[in-house]
Amino acid sequence: MTDKADFTASRLNRRSVLGLLGAAPAAAALAGTFGNSTPAKAATTGQLNIYSWPDYFSADTLAAYAKKTGVTPVITTYDSNETLFAKLNSPAGAGFDIVIPSSSWIAQLAGKGLLAELDHSRLNLASLDQDLLDRDYDPGNKYSIPKDWGLLGVVYDPEAVGGEIKTWEDFFKAGELPNVSGKVRLSDSGWETIGPALWLEGKNWNTATSDEIKAAAERVKAFAKHVKSFSSLDPNTVANGSIVLAETNQGTARAAIGLNPKLKWAVPGPFSELWVDNYAIAKNAANVDQAYDFLSFVLQPDIQLLETKYIGFPAAVAGLREKVGVDTPNADLIFGGKDLDFKKLTSFVVNPDTIDAYLQAQNEIQAAAG
Amino acid sequence: MSDRLQDLTSTNTASGDNLSAGGRVPSIVTHRLTDHVLAAVPTIWLALFFLAPLGVTVAFSFGRSTFGGVVFDLTLDNYRNALSGFYGATFVRTLLFAASASALCIAVAYPVAYFLARRTRRRRGLAAGLILVPYFSSFLIRVMALHMLLSRDGLVEHVLNTLWLHSGPLDILDSQTAVFIGIVYAYLPITIVPLYVVLDRIPQPLLEASRDLGASRFKTFVFVTLPLSRPGIATSVLLTAVPMLGEMVIPRLLGGSKGVLLGQVLSAQYLQSQNYPLGSAMAVLILITIALIVTALARVTKGFSEVGP
Repeated sequence: MTDKADFTASRLNRRSVLGLLGAAPAAAALAGTFGNSTPAKAATTGQLNIYSWPDYFSADTLAAYAKKTGVTPVITTYDSNETLFAKLNSPAGAGFDIVIPSSSWIAQLAGKGLLAELDHSRLNLASLDQDLLDRDYDPGNKYSIPKDWGLLGVVYDPEAVGGEIKTWEDFFKAGELPNVSGKVRLSDSGWETIGPALWLEGKNWNTATSDEIKAAAERVKAFAKHVKSFSSLDPNTVANGSIVLAETNQGTARAAIGLNPKLKWAVPGPFSELWVDNYAIAKNAANVDQAYDFLSFVLQPDIQLLETKYIGFPAAVAGLREKVGVDTPNADLIFGGKDLDFKKLTSFVVNPDTIDAYLQAQNEIQAAAG
Repeated sequence: MSDRLQDLTSTNTASGDNLSAGGRVPSIVTHRLTDHVLAAVPTIWLALFFLAPLGVTVAFSFGRSTFGGVVFDLTLDNYRNALSGFYGATFVRTLLFAASASALCIAVAYPVAYFLARRTRRRRGLAAGLILVPYFSSFLIRVMALHMLLSRDGLVEHVLNTLWLHSGPLDILDSQTAVFIGIVYAYLPITIVPLYVVLDRIPQPLLEASRDLGASRFKTFVFVTLPLSRPGIATSVLLTAVPMLGEMVIPRLLGGSKGVLLGQVLSAQYLQSQNYPLGSAMAVLILITIALIVTALARVTKGFSEVGP
């Protein structure tokens, strides 16, 4: 997942509000200093310290694990991958066992030696959706196993747009229409706004050079005058027609469609983004056995279903779609729609050489919209 | 301290206190010592948590970035980068934004403060309370509340439609107008207070004298009241323009994150680009700008401390 993209209602609010306040590092520091969750370094077993996004495990799951093993995982939270990186990269990061990095940051964390290589014999990876394994952000799942995932797609009002959106070309064209212009929402993440322009040029967003990124950003910059907002997408604004065309994830789109059934969701071609939040074990974890025990526990199908319902984004176990009951409205949308093709999804990997180009271009795009 | 010593002694003599001056001195010395200790606490606090980070920031601003790290150096590249191209334009845009937003706040606050100072007599406490109480709630909550009021199908839309001032859905959010409405709303209380204080202290006889000499009410306002309220205006400018140089919440919540300001660009350097040197250079530039504003305002109000009732 991208760090600044929007999420489900619960995650969206907490993450973005904290981020807004610029309180990310402060919150992490506070949690570390004053929380009763300060990880104990010397502990051997019977303890588990998880460093995670806020509200990212259902209380039922944690209670069930505590009942089974007598161990209550201690959860400390962060609100951005950058904070996770900074903390693990400092002495304050010692003592965490399980961390939940996003696909975009696995390579950076692993490259700095902050993640332990996983022992696959201790985990049942075969039970997971194979589409989510061995992806480009962590080949062979050396350091990570998927926790849950989401997409970059488009939610739109077919009436205003006057047709179906199948490609990013359709998206950009539709945004220029007189009754759509000024009612468009773009992501506030550089790679999510420039990525579509790169894909249309047949380029890979992970290998594009800074110059190619800048060139592709020009197209988005020219498009910026049609944009109404780059802020987190409130499903209500799409439902009531303030915004009729928006880049977003499937969770927010599902919420909007729940409010206004005439809206549509699409994952445009030729490519779009798959972000995955992952379980990983910190390099010097003190409670490795406990960590594997916990991971095996949460990978059980019934727990995965519980987590999916709680977070609003799908967990990674195979066959989950069939288990989500008919009583759940628009259940297909949780999984990105009926005909989602994983071959046409790509995950962003943060690269220190080009990340600046994305971020600066995004600033320029947002400035051009003002 | 010496003033205080003198005050105490003179009070003693005047009240014919039985205690001899000699008897009081030790207690004053202890008092003085306590004062020093008390003063040392905030001094150390400031040195530790303000001056030290500031020093680090200044040092960083001459360094080179290594994604999440800093190599110390003596380069001016960060400043060159922060003042040229996109960042330079953002800097200028932010200054203009702060200046116009601050002017707007004062334009709205001045009549309110004038009314408070001149017309409210007995209900003054109540009126001041009504203005200040909302200010005690969280800034973020106030802006979010305004977001709800201004949104489609919100209260403002209904009121405007009922009054025939607008028809149909109101699409004001995610625009510069919404940002300025938000700014005025959020900063109004702290703009009113300094203006009110200074207007309240203008002696009534001065205004009467002006009228006796044949000045109209308008002339009295322009040539007596307005010049005498300069310190209040200066303080209001300071209290609004300075925070606005770093403002990022309102543009994000009400302005759809369009038209990037320096605060957003600066925080992105630290939180996303992991480019601490560039972020530090921007922070130092903002500090210099603020210092210049403070100096300029101090000059404008120079000599005012001697004037007054």
